[in-house]
Amino acid sequence: MNKQVPTISVSDEIILNLKVLAEEKEGVRRKLAVTAAKLAVTAKKLAVIAEKKESIRRKLVATAKEKEVVRLELAVTAAKLAVTARRLAVTAKEKESARRHKLAVTAAKLAMTAEKLAATAKEKENVRRKLAVTAAKLAVTAEKLAVTAEKLAATAEKLAATAKEKESVRRKLAVTAKKLAATAEEKEVVRRKLAVIAWELAVTAKEKESVRRKLAVTAKEKEVVRRKLAVTAAKLKISYETLEKKVLERTKSLEMARAKEEAILLSIGDGLLATDEKGNIIFINKTAERLFDKKSKEVMGKKFSDVIPLEDEKEVFIPLEKHPVNMVLTAGAATASLPTAYYRSKSRNRFPMAIMATPVVLDGKTIGAIKVFRDITSEREVDKAKTEFVSLASHQLRTPLSTVNWYAEMLLAGDVGEMSEQQNKYLNEVYRSNQRMVELVNALLDVASLELGTFAIESEKVDICQLAESIIDEQKPEIGTRKLRFSFSCAKDISFIHTDPKHLRMVIQNILSNAIKYSPDGGKIHLSITLADKQNILIKISDNGYGIPKSQQDKIFTKLFRADNVRDKDTDGTGLGLYIVKSIVDNSGGKIWFTSPPKNAKNGTNFCVTLPINGVPRLMKVK
Amino acid sequence: MKTQKTILIIEDEKSLRGAIVDILRLKNFLTLEAKNGKEGVEMALSKHPDLILLDLIMPEMDGMTALKKIREDTWGETAPVIILTNLSAINGNVEDDAIAHRPTHYLIKSDWKLHDIVKKIEEIVGR
Repeated sequence: MNKQVPTISVSDEIILNLKVLAEEKEGVRRKLAVTAAKLAVTAKKLAVIAEKKESIRRKLVATAKEKEVVRLELAVTAAKLAVTARRLAVTAKEKESARRHKLAVTAAKLAMTAEKLAATAKEKENVRRKLAVTAAKLAVTAEKLAVTAEKLAATAEKLAATAKEKESVRRKLAVTAKKLAATAEEKEVVRRKLAVIAWELAVTAKEKESVRRKLAVTAKEKEVVRRKLAVTAAKLKISYETLEKKVLERTKSLEMARAKEEAILLSIGDGLLATDEKGNIIFINKTAERLFDKKSKEVMGKKFSDVIPLEDEKEVFIPLEKHPVNMVLTAGAATASLPTAYYRSKSRNRFPMAIMATPVVLDGKTIGAIKVFRDITSEREVDKAKTEFVSLASHQLRTPLSTVNWYAEMLLAGDVGEMSEQQNKYLNEVYRSNQRMVELVNALLDVASLELGTFAIESEKVDICQLAESIIDEQKPEIGTRKLRFSFSCAKDISFIHTDPKHLRMVIQNILSNAIKYSPDGGKIHLSITLADKQNILIKISDNGYGIPKSQQDKIFTKLFRADNVRDKDTDGTGLGLYIVKSIVDNSGGKIWFTSPPKNAKNGTNFCVTLPINGVPRLMKVK
Repeated sequence: MKTQKTILIIEDEKSLRGAIVDILRLKNFLTLEAKNGKEGVEMALSKHPDLILLDLIMPEMDGMTALKKIREDTWGETAPVIILTNLSAINGNVEDDAIAHRPTHYLIKSDWKLHDIVKKIEEIVGR
């Protein structure tokens, strides 16, 4: 456009046209540019599509390859399947063959079974036919039997009739036979009677003759007897007179004897009373009459407890069943006693008596009992006097000893000023000697009590282990100063025993203090309490001390005895301890013994004491 | 210091009574003395001592009767009394009789040291 269009002044129109043409050219150019742009875009799109087509083509190639692979695999699988198919075909053939074989076998079996069934059916048919034949025969037989039965029935009826007739005839015959028999018997009886009568008549005739002869003889004999009787009668008269005389003499002497015996019984110093087996009084002597202040008439035939009431210590009435007489009559005791019973008579105050009953036995049977009563008032008084003597003696002897004891004690304690050593020593001797005297007096009083029989056993329930412990406590200071090795054991199964605690204390205390006294310093002592058996306890005190010389062992329980080997070692002993211990143990129903030296030991002593757990039997009790 | 306690000694034996009185005075007690049961009862009921020491065998009136009389009194009914005797309870009778009148103690003189008796008294009167 750079071309210079000749400007012609000519016309503006031309210019204008040129301008329009330029503008149109510009529009076309612009349209061409747009079209070109559009073409470029289309070319790009075509390029993209071509790329896509290429990609698809490639993919198709790849897919074709894969397909080839799959096809090959399929070919392999097909080959395998063909093999399998062949195998299956073979198997099928085998199976078919087996199946056919089985079928053939089964068919054969079925054929056999069928044959058998056919055979069985034939047999059955045979049997059936035979049964039919048999049935027909049976029917015939049955008919025949029916006929026969009818005939038999008829025959039976006829026979029955005949039998009845026969029975009737038989009875008639029997009656006739009996009648004939009776007649025969009667005839026989009559015949026998006649024979007897005939015989008797013959005998009577003979006897008459004999009697006649005897009568003649008897008359003569009677005369002889009559004469003899007269002689005997004379003799008897003489004998009778002699006898009469003798009887009179005998009676007289018997009466004398009886009177003497009765006089003896009546005059016995103790009261005597006899009862029958029921306990009724049948005899009372004079002493008993006097004792009970009753006359014989008042009590005879009556029960003892009804007419003579007795009381015990506590003024309680004693019933008949507790009387000793009851024990011998009902309980069958040989003797029974009541140590003390009290009676209040009309004329006297209450007084004590001892009663003893014994059964009266005749031919092994108790026919009654005898009671003996003894007034024990004076014995009681003597007992009381003895006791009082011992009490008073103890008091009188101990009073001056106590005075010495107490003053010496105050001096020794320095209560009234100090003393010199020498004074102290002397006074100690005085004090110790006095102490010994106290012990001696105490022991002597115990001995006196024992021997006077006033050593009463007051039995009560005692805890023996506790008692032993309290005794040991008392001895502890001595055990300590002497350096003794002491041990104590009390069995668990022991609790209480029935005994007098004062006596038990004396027993243990004496033996234990002996063990302590007669052991050297540092010695060993053991006290044990165990069960000896079901009824007894065992107290054992063992030491390893000086022991008791063999030669003197039999004297150890003797009063005032002291063994030689300890006299020098200890001057305090009284020689009464073991004597007292033995007396107590004996009176308590126990036992005491010792071994010295004990088994398997060189020295020392074992003391053993047994005591009954349930206390002393009553009869053993000292007054 | 508490007030002194008074002890009545009923004892016929002069020497024994003397020993007891001496030791009690030494131990700072006040003492009253009676030489038989009769005197003793009179003194006890008029002076009301803190404790009575009582012998049993004495002239005029014995200890048992004296104790019975003391126990009949309203004051004496509960008064502490120690029986101090040389009379052995031979078969329990003496002791039983004594126990019936409720003594505080029953002591045998020859078995007891004076100092131990004093200890018993001190226990009872509370010193």
